[in-house]
Amino acid sequence: MDQLLNPNFGVFALTIVNFLLLVWLLHKFAWKGIIGALERREKQIADDKALAAQARADSEKMRAELDSKLQHIAQEATQKMQEAVAVGNAQKEQLLAETKQQAERLLAQAKEQIEAEKNQALKDVRAQVVQTALLAASKITQQQLNEKSAAQTVDEVLRDLQKRG
Amino acid sequence: MDVAETIAHHILDHDFGVMVGTIHLPFTVHTVTMFCISVALFVAAYLMTLKGKSVFARLMNTLGEEYVAFMRDGIVVPGMGEEGKQFLSYFCTLFLFILFSNLAGLIPDVKTITSNISVTGALAICSGVLIVYCGIKFHGVAGFIKTFVPGGTPWWLVPLIFPLEVISLIIRVCVLAIRLFANMLSGHMVLLSLLLIVFIIGQMSKIAGTGAAIPAMGLEIFMTFLELLVAFLQAYVFTLLTSIYAGLVIHSH
Repeated sequence: MDQLLNPNFGVFALTIVNFLLLVWLLHKFAWKGIIGALERREKQIADDKALAAQARADSEKMRAELDSKLQHIAQEATQKMQEAVAVGNAQKEQLLAETKQQAERLLAQAKEQIEAEKNQALKDVRAQVVQTALLAASKITQQQLNEKSAAQTVDEVLRDLQKRG
Repeated sequence: MDVAETIAHHILDHDFGVMVGTIHLPFTVHTVTMFCISVALFVAAYLMTLKGKSVFARLMNTLGEEYVAFMRDGIVVPGMGEEGKQFLSYFCTLFLFILFSNLAGLIPDVKTITSNISVTGALAICSGVLIVYCGIKFHGVAGFIKTFVPGGTPWWLVPLIFPLEVISLIIRVCVLAIRLFANMLSGHMVLLSLLLIVFIIGQMSKIAGTGAAIPAMGLEIFMTFLELLVAFLQAYVFTLLTSIYAGLVIHSH
């Protein structure tokens, strides 16, 4: 059992040579390639992640711009709508005022026309009455001259009037 | 042959006694086993670099990359920092070599070479040389020697601290060897002892021996699984401690 703790220097030296040779061989034929592949893959993943982050940042920026534009458009639309409503109201007021004015003018014209026609009619009637009176007076005068009766005279006058009728 | 001799016979190395002239070549059971393990390890590692689209090749590639990534991110970089990446090949080989050596002992008729102090000592010396190399590479010879004296040490304490720190480094390396050796040796001694219990009791009474076989086999199976765990654990501990010691030298202040 004492041999357990007695080192064999031949085994010791051979182990060192064997192990270092193995390290060199595996480095050359195995680990170098695997480490290279691993680093390439990690670099690619890192690049892809960076690209994805960039794309995400770009899309966020674009979204923010679009949001801003949409907000601006909404504000503009609201403003335009308010302006349109104001214009519509103004036009409505103007139209109502014009219509009222026109109606008043037409009413005034109609009144004037009615008044004028009424006056004309009165004038005509008055002229007619004057004429009738004159006619009657001339008839009376003529009757007196022709000694005809007043009844006959009136009848004549009425007949004349009916003829003119 | 008593019990101790039987155990020793199973655990100790046996020299084939190959001589070339007057030179005695170290061809022993352990060195031959070590050579076979090295070949197996080389083949296994080479298979990890296979190119092709077959399922096996892709599986091996993935296994290789996962293993290297584990060594780098789990052992080398945490222990040594980014500077340790240039020694990644050493650590990848060290871990697998110790693991294969430990596991080989669980195969019937194959010896555990890490239960030989010469083997573990050689591995520890390789790690010790790496630690010193790291110190010289990153600090220069003078800088490396200065790392043995912690900053702020009074001048009159330097003659005491310096040899203590040098001895501390040597002890760390020695402890690496002894820890691996002791763990692997003790595990196999326990396994053998449990087996021998059956035969010892059997020599006294065949019925008692048969009765002892059942619990002994139960314990044997349990210990085998424990040995499996210890095989991984000791490979991990040896590699991790090497990286930590090298890291301490690289990042000393």
